Amino acid sequence: MEKRGTYQQYLNRFGWKCVAPSMVLFCVFMLYPILSSLYYVTRRWKGMTNTFIGLGNFVRMAHDQVFQAAIGHNFLFMFIQVPLMIFLALILAVLLNQGIRHFRGPIRLAIFLPSVTSLVVVSVLFRVLLQANGMLNNVLLGAHLISTPIGWLNDSGWAKVTIILAMTWRWTGYNMVFFLVGLQSIDTEIYEAAEVDGASKVRQFFNITIPLLVPVILFSAVTSTSGTMQLFDEPNILTWQGGPANATMTAALYIYRQAFFVNADFGYATAMSYIVVLISGIFAVVQMRLLGDRRSK
Amino acid sequence: MSVVRNWSGGRVVSLLVLLLAVVVSVFPFLWMLVGMTLNPNDVLRGILTPGKEFVSNWEKATRNYNLLLFFWNSIKIALLTVFFGLIVNSIAAYGFEKYPSKARDRVFGILLLTLIIPQIAIVIPMFRMFAFFKLLDTHAAIILPSIMSVFIIFFMRQNFKMFPTEIMEAARVDGAGEFYTFLRIVSPSMQATYASGAIYLFIGQWNSYLWPLITILTDAGKTLPIAMASMMNAYTIEYGALMVIVCISVLPVLVLFLSMQKQFVAGLLGSVK
Amino acid sequence: MRKGLTLALALLAALALTVGTFTSCGKAMTNKVTVWCWDPNFNVYSMKQAAAVYNKAHPNVNIEIVDMAQDIEAKIISGLQANGAGLPDIALFQDFRIEQFLHDYPKAFVDLKAAGVDYTKFAPYKVGPMTVGNSIYGIPFDTGSTGLWLRTDYIKQAGLNPDDYYGKNLKWADIIKLGVAVKAKTGKPLLAYQSDNFDMLRIVVQSTGGQFFNPDGSLNLRSDAFKKSLALFKELNDKGLLYQVVGWSDWINAINSDQSAGFLNAIWMVGSVKSRPENKGKYMVIPTPLIEGVSGAANASNNGGSSWYVFSSSPNKARAVDFLKSVWATSTPDNLAFYNTILKGAGAMGTYLPSQSGSNYTAADDFFYKSQPVYKDFAAWMTNVPVLKYTPNYVPMRDAVAHATLNYFQGKLKSIDDTITAAEAEYKQVMGQ
Repeated sequence: MEKRGTYQQYLNRFGWKCVAPSMVLFCVFMLYPILSSLYYVTRRWKGMTNTFIGLGNFVRMAHDQVFQAAIGHNFLFMFIQVPLMIFLALILAVLLNQGIRHFRGPIRLAIFLPSVTSLVVVSVLFRVLLQANGMLNNVLLGAHLISTPIGWLNDSGWAKVTIILAMTWRWTGYNMVFFLVGLQSIDTEIYEAAEVDGASKVRQFFNITIPLLVPVILFSAVTSTSGTMQLFDEPNILTWQGGPANATMTAALYIYRQAFFVNADFGYATAMSYIVVLISGIFAVVQMRLLGDRRSK
Repeated sequence: MSVVRNWSGGRVVSLLVLLLAVVVSVFPFLWMLVGMTLNPNDVLRGILTPGKEFVSNWEKATRNYNLLLFFWNSIKIALLTVFFGLIVNSIAAYGFEKYPSKARDRVFGILLLTLIIPQIAIVIPMFRMFAFFKLLDTHAAIILPSIMSVFIIFFMRQNFKMFPTEIMEAARVDGAGEFYTFLRIVSPSMQATYASGAIYLFIGQWNSYLWPLITILTDAGKTLPIAMASMMNAYTIEYGALMVIVCISVLPVLVLFLSMQKQFVAGLLGSVK
Repeated sequence: MRKGLTLALALLAALALTVGTFTSCGKAMTNKVTVWCWDPNFNVYSMKQAAAVYNKAHPNVNIEIVDMAQDIEAKIISGLQANGAGLPDIALFQDFRIEQFLHDYPKAFVDLKAAGVDYTKFAPYKVGPMTVGNSIYGIPFDTGSTGLWLRTDYIKQAGLNPDDYYGKNLKWADIIKLGVAVKAKTGKPLLAYQSDNFDMLRIVVQSTGGQFFNPDGSLNLRSDAFKKSLALFKELNDKGLLYQVVGWSDWINAINSDQSAGFLNAIWMVGSVKSRPENKGKYMVIPTPLIEGVSGAANASNNGGSSWYVFSSSPNKARAVDFLKSVWATSTPDNLAFYNTILKGAGAMGTYLPSQSGSNYTAADDFFYKSQPVYKDFAAWMTNVPVLKYTPNYVPMRDAVAHATLNYFQGKLKSIDDTITAAEAEYKQVMGQ
C-alpha cells in the first residue's frame, strides 16, 4: 500500500518536472506581463515620469474617437472580410472536391500558396501593386474598366477595401484546406440518397454540406475573428500607419503608436489593450458556446 | 467521395472559377520572381517580362541592404526557437497527457485561457522587463518569449493521446526510468508530430513582426520582415532589391511547404476535430 | 552512435548560438561614433563630408552614419524609454520635434553650451528651439527656406513662358492660373501633395506670419491666416491642381517620376531633385507665393531644418561632442570649405553664419533653368521668413489638422468650419484633455 503511494507520488513529481520548464517560461513571459500591466494601467506616462490617475485612462478612452474608430475598423474587417473569405473558401473547397481528380493536387497547392507568405510580405507586395501608378491601376486603365486611377492607398474608402483584399488573398487558401478536410469526411451516401430524392445540387449544398461542415466553419470563424482583432502588420505596412488619416487604423496599431510613438504613454496603451482582450474574450466565449451547441446536436 | 455529375456546363464553370482562383493566388509570386530582374520603375509599373537587372538588384540587396546578414539573423532565431521549443513544449505535453492529475489539468485550463490574449497586450510590459534587464536589442529577447507555445503543447498533447500507455507501462516493468522512456521510446515514434511542431514554430518565428519591431533597435540585429518593412519607409524605395529580399524571405517556408506538405498542413490545422 | 554524435553536435551548436544571442546587436566600441539620421542625399551625405574633415586630424576615429529613414523616431523613443539601450551617440532631430523631447526627457541630452560651443555664430532662430533655461543642447544644421519648385518643360508645353514667373514675387491667384493652364495642356497637376502630412499647409500658414498656438500654449485654429490657407488648398484641390499621395516615399516618387509639374517645399529638396540627372535644366524655384489679404504675409516660409544632438547615454559622448564642435562649430578653412561643399553637393545650407560667405552661396547652379543661383535666392528669402512657434505639442496638432484636411478634401467634411472643429476635437483626444 505504501509502496504504491510513493510510486504514484514519484510519477506525479515526474509529471511536474516535465511541465516545469514551460511553466517557468509561462510565468516569466505571460504571467508576469499580465500582472505588471496592472501597474501601468492606472498611470499616465509622459517621457520618463508617470503619475497615478486611477481610472483616468478608461475615461479618456470613452472620449477617444480615434480609438473607437479603430475598434470599429476591426469590427468592419471582422464582419465583412471573415464571412466573405469563408464563403469563398467554402465554394472553392466544394468545387475542388467535386472536380477532376487529376488536377486537384496542383490546384489545391496553388490556392494554398499565399498562406506560406508572411503578413509583411503580403503587405509589401500589395502596397507596390496598388500604388496609384502601379500595376493594378495600369491594368484596369488599359482594360478601360476605369477612367481615372483608383486611390487604393490614398482614399479612405478604398484603403479599407485594400486591406480586405490583402487579407482575403492571404487566408482564403488556408481556410479552403480546412474545409477540404471536412468535406472529405462526409459520407457520399448522404449525397446519393439526396440525389435519389430529387434534390438539386444547390439544395444539397445548403441542406447537407453546410450543416455538416458547421464545426469546421466555426473553427475557421474563431481563428479568423481572433486574427482580425489583432490586425497589425497590414495597416502598419500596407496602408502606412493606419492611413490615410486613420481610415484603416486598428486597435493593435493604435496601441502600438500610443506606446512607442508620439507620447509614449504606456498607461493609456495598456488600458486600451485591456479592452481589446475583453472584446476578444467575449467573441471567444460566444463562439465556443455556438460550437458547443452544435456539437451536442 | 466526389459525386459524379454529367452536367458539363457546370463543370466548365467550376473549372473556370478554380482556375481564376489559381491565377489570383499564384500571380503575385510570379510577379515577385520577375520583379527581381527589373529596375525599380518597371517593377512599379508592373512589367511582366524579365529584365536584365537581377545582378544589380542582388548586389544592392546584399551590399546596401545587408540581405545576407538579415537572412542569417532570421534563420538563427527561427532554428533556435524550434530547437528549444520542441524540447520544452513536447515534454510539457507529455507531462500533461501521460501523467494525469487534477492540479495539472487546472493549470492546463489556465494555459488554454491565455490563448485568447492578443500579443499586443503583452508587448508593453515585456518591453519594459527586457529594458530593465538590459536585454533589449538582443536576439535572446526575440527567442525566449516564443519558446513556450500553448498551441503547440495542445497540439502535441492531442497526438500523445494516441500513444498507447501500455508500452510505457511495459517499459516501466523492464526497469526503464521515466525520462528514458520519453526520450528513447515515445519520442522516436512521434516524428510526424515533431515535424509538424517544428514547422509551426519555424514559420511563426520566421514571419514574426510586431515583437522584433519593438525590440530590435539597431540595424545589425534586424530580421527579414523588419528589413522589408524598413525598406518601404526609405526615402526612395528600391523596388528591385526589395523583390530580391521578398523572394529570399519566402523561400525557406516555400521549401518547407513543398517538401513536407502533410506535416505542414497538419501543423497548421492542429487538431481541427 | 552516429545519432548520438549528431545530437551532441547539434546541442553544442545550439548552445554556442544561444550564448551569442544575449549580446546586444549594436556593439559599443571606443573610437567609434554612431550617427543616426535620414535622407541619404542630404543628411547622410553632409555628415560623411564632416567625418572626412574630422578624420584628417583623427584618422583612427570611425564615424558610422546610419540612415534610419522613417524608423528613427520610434527607435529613439524606444531607446530613451529603455534608458539609452541601442541609442547612437549623435542623432539628428527636426527643429519642430526637439522641444517635446527636451521637455519629456530632460536629462537625455548633452548640454553643448556647457561644452564650450559658441552659439553667437549660429542663426538665432535655430538656437531658440534647442534652448532650455541656461542650457543649449544641439548643433544647428540646415535651414528650411522654402520656394515654389516648377518644371519649366511643362510650363513651356502649356504654351507659357517660364521667364514670366522666374524670380517674381507672385500671389497664389497667379499660381492657380498657371496651374490650370499647365493641367489643361499637359494633364499634370501643378503640385505633388502628401495628403497625410500637413507641411505644405504649414508652409502657407507660416508665410502669412500666422501661428497655431496662442502665446499661452493653447490651440488656435480659428485665425484668419489659417482659414484663408485652408481655403487656398481646397481651391487647388477642386481645380485638380494637387497630385495626392500618401506617405513620404510616395511623394518623392511622384516628383521623380514626373507625376506633377512641381511642388512647394524647402531648399533641402535639392539633393532629391538632383538624383534625377535627366531633369537637368528643367527646374526653377520661385519665391513662396503670397496669400492675399493677411497682414504680415510674406513671400517666404520655412519647412523643417534639423540639428544634431548628443545623447547623455552615449559611452563615447566626449568624442562625439569633440567631433561636432571641431567640425561644425569652429571657423577653420577646412570647416568653411566643408560647409561650402555640402551646399553645392546636397543643397544643404547650414546656419553657421561664418560659412555664408562661401563661394557656392552665390554661384550659379547649372542644374537649374538658366543656371539659377538657387542658394543665393534661398538665402535671401531666408531673411524674410516669419517666425513660427512650434511648442512641445506641435505633433498632435499637426496630425489632427492633417487628418481633418484629408477628410475635407475627400468630401467627408463639408466646410472649413467643420474641418477646424474636427481638428480641434482630435487634438483634444490625443492630448488626453
